[in-house]
Amino acid sequence: MFNWIGLYTLIRREVERTFRIIAQTLGAPLISAFLFIFIFGFVLGRKIELVGGVPYMLFVFPGILMMNMLTASFDNVSHTLFVSRWVRNIHEVLVAPLSYLEMIIGYVVGAITRGLLIGLGVLLIGLLFGAVHIAHPLLFIFYAIGVTTIFALLGILAGLWAKGFEQLGIFNIFIIMPLSFLGGMFYSIEFLPETVRAITIYNPMFYFIDGMRYASLSYHESNLMVGATLIIGLILFLGTLVFYLFKKGWRLRE
Amino acid sequence: MSTHALEIKNLKKSYGKNVAVDGISFSIEQGEFFGLLGPNGAGKTTTIHCITGIGTITSGSISILGLDVVKEYRETRKKIGLSPQDYNVDIFAKVWKILDYAGGYYGMRKKERMNRIEKVLAECRLTEHKEKAFQHLSGGLKRRLMLARALMHDPEILILDEPTAGIDVEFRHELWEFLRKLNKSGKTIILTSHYLEEVELLCSRIGIIHKGNLAALGRKDEFVKDGKKLEDKYLIITRGEHF
Repeated sequence: MFNWIGLYTLIRREVERTFRIIAQTLGAPLISAFLFIFIFGFVLGRKIELVGGVPYMLFVFPGILMMNMLTASFDNVSHTLFVSRWVRNIHEVLVAPLSYLEMIIGYVVGAITRGLLIGLGVLLIGLLFGAVHIAHPLLFIFYAIGVTTIFALLGILAGLWAKGFEQLGIFNIFIIMPLSFLGGMFYSIEFLPETVRAITIYNPMFYFIDGMRYASLSYHESNLMVGATLIIGLILFLGTLVFYLFKKGWRLRE
Repeated sequence: MSTHALEIKNLKKSYGKNVAVDGISFSIEQGEFFGLLGPNGAGKTTTIHCITGIGTITSGSISILGLDVVKEYRETRKKIGLSPQDYNVDIFAKVWKILDYAGGYYGMRKKERMNRIEKVLAECRLTEHKEKAFQHLSGGLKRRLMLARALMHDPEILILDEPTAGIDVEFRHELWEFLRKLNKSGKTIILTSHYLEEVELLCSRIGIIHKGNLAALGRKDEFVKDGKKLEDKYLIITRGEHF
């Protein structure tokens, strides 16, 4: 029988932890988002002509939104899992009558919740600058939940793999941030030389950001079907991998 | 024939080439107060981790009240309450919150949890500290909280891994009384401790693990016959002399 109360407790603990350290979990990323929107969208945007037929402020906003949501989702679960392993309070969960699936769902939903809270905050900031436009609400929700789920699962893998804070930081510094910036967050791939453009289509972030841009503005540069398939495929692949590792107890059980 | 509270068959646990537990077998009956002794690193905590799911089993089997701890892990975990040697909690969380989460993991509804929290807080003399964060508790209070958390879901089997380490004499005596009461009410208790007088006082049967092997197993009176103390026998066994 599914342990609904146990699962709810795990999610509740994660969400309560987010609010307990609110300056770090919500305050810092929202200030960062505000600065990105203000500098790139508002200050520089006024000097830049239309990109893809839309004002620059509107063009960059979906990318800023997506980057903040996926980073929040990743950080939430990677940190909670790593620190829980470090101080061994992961044992509380391991000795409880929770199935592997319930544990994974608990961590993933906790991470998605933080990602969506950040997304909501960034949307409110965007409203102040008149940057918010949602052309396809259902697709908007699909991209928001789909991508935060992928990064929650990646966060679990990072939280299990990392043996120290330095290793935990590698993902953000060397993978997430460069791929986001090079995934067309601030520019149209039309601006890129042919060879770089050809490389960009192998960057998954390009599809995530471009998909969100389409959901917001009805403007896209990627193949949307490839993007949607990539999102669903990655969720299934990473979900299966994480389940296998939990079942095996990799870096979880002694 | 009644079902054993715990049955361990040929349990082996290795960390790479290092064998921590080397094929031990023993069983504990329902309602028993069992003492599991051994020097540091002997394999006591590793055995406990294999029972509770914190550790994986290399080979052999463990069953709780007839249920396999690997195949039927969800059922067996409901039946066990663990007070661990390490303080494995969110150190920033408040006392009552730690208990609230623990009860929630075991599927207890909110009202049931709140009632149970008050009860275990009172039993472990923690009521006045319930709003304090774990990190602000003294060593003794932390130990009490570990016991309170183990009791939250009212388990049938209580595993106490050095529960009196670092607590004052007064509470140690109170705890002994409390554990006796729990045992009389039908709970099976497995106790590890380096205070041998504590084990001698409380336990009816004792097992001694040494270098990953079960070096001795028997009723308490078998260990303390001929006017000797448990400590004398313990030292003979762990120093490799013939028992």
